[in-house]
Amino acid sequence: MGRSAGPATLILSSLADGAKHGYALTKDIEAFAGVRLAPGTLYEALSRLEGQGLIEALASDDRRRPYRLTAAGAEALHAHLQAQRHVADVGLRRLAGNWGVA
Amino acid sequence: MTAAGGAPPAAAGDAPAPTPGSLERRARRLLRWYPGSWRARYGEEFAELLLAELAEQPRAWRRTVNVAHCGLTARLAAAGLAGPPAGTAGARASLGTLTCSLAVFLTFGTAMWAQLAVGWQWAPPATTATAVAMLVMSGSLLFLAVLALLAAVPVGWVAIMAGFRRQARGLRTPALLTGAASLVLVIGGRHFGNGWPGTGGHWWPHQGLAPGGIAAFGWASTLSVTSYWAHPATLASFPPAELAWMVASPVALLSLATGAAQLVRRLELSPRVLAFETRIGRAAAAGMTAFLAGALCWVTQAGPGPHGLFRTGDIDAAGLAVLAAALATGWLAISRARPVPPARAAGQQ
Repeated sequence: MGRSAGPATLILSSLADGAKHGYALTKDIEAFAGVRLAPGTLYEALSRLEGQGLIEALASDDRRRPYRLTAAGAEALHAHLQAQRHVADVGLRRLAGNWGVA
Repeated sequence: MTAAGGAPPAAAGDAPAPTPGSLERRARRLLRWYPGSWRARYGEEFAELLLAELAEQPRAWRRTVNVAHCGLTARLAAAGLAGPPAGTAGARASLGTLTCSLAVFLTFGTAMWAQLAVGWQWAPPATTATAVAMLVMSGSLLFLAVLALLAAVPVGWVAIMAGFRRQARGLRTPALLTGAASLVLVIGGRHFGNGWPGTGGHWWPHQGLAPGGIAAFGWASTLSVTSYWAHPATLASFPPAELAWMVASPVALLSLATGAAQLVRRLELSPRVLAFETRIGRAAAAGMTAFLAGALCWVTQAGPGPHGLFRTGDIDAAGLAVLAAALATGWLAISRARPVPPARAAGQQ
């Protein structure tokens, strides 16, 4: 996911729950991560993820086009979150051992 | 599928609630930051998101800055100057931008060189810097002209073949623009070249470095690059035909650059041709660098020379700035032009 890992992780995590269009993505991410993605940032990441084949656009009758996670996107998100979890585990263990922060 | 959950609530406050029409207009205005190709793909859905955002938060300067920043980044990406590698289409976009940069560079570079060539015709160079600058600038220009021709041959061939196969959709306008602009420049350049001020003088050593016909054509083609625009009273004393040419020639130069760049972007160039064009592009960027070094040597070191023939002014300093900007854009474009190697492209098919 590269440099855009921040917004990309948030978008992929949101889409892991089901397909969503732009505004629904913004609200969902705000609800579960406390971060409001600006519209330009959101679509910059969406177009990049679509180009990488990690998400795909669905047909829509109105102007709001929903996106869903692809199998490759689910795999990439899983690998990224596992790596993040490892980093978090190491960091928490060291904090607990050296700083007494549990 | 998760729905959006209805329309966002209207903004609270003393100001009257914006009407749907005004929100739509603001969304459309924000959308203009993005290039046409991006708008064609994402425009409608992005406008819908902006409408929801505007209804929820009518005034948010951070959002405007964010959209402007991302829109400009998208424009740079569409020009092959930013974003992740975009394969063959991205390489074509980068080469198209390099074509524009080279056209701007050649226009301003030729104008500077023509000024130096006129002085060269009337007096021997007074300083080594003048001689070095003239040699470097002349050699670089010749090199760039040869490269431009070499680059044009395969592109022209592919364009002609596409026309024969009736696959010229989207190519007709840029092809016509390129052809018509070239014709105007050749006819006008030859005609107005007759008024070249370097026709007299004596035969100094090295004077024959640039053939008079080429120097006259270069001078006439770039007659519009002049500080006379800042002196309307003097400009008014010019013959009307020359004034008309000073207005028409930049339009022709702009049309030529636009048409050629559009052809490069739209033509289905094979990986082999793209690789060739990329190598030419790298050589052109090196040639532009050499020319700029020569021009810098002249403007900063050469001095006015006899009768002020080699004197430089604000227009030359401005010219140097334009050359540097075109060169930087050209280097950025060519550094991002990474066509798929022929072997890998064949494997993907």
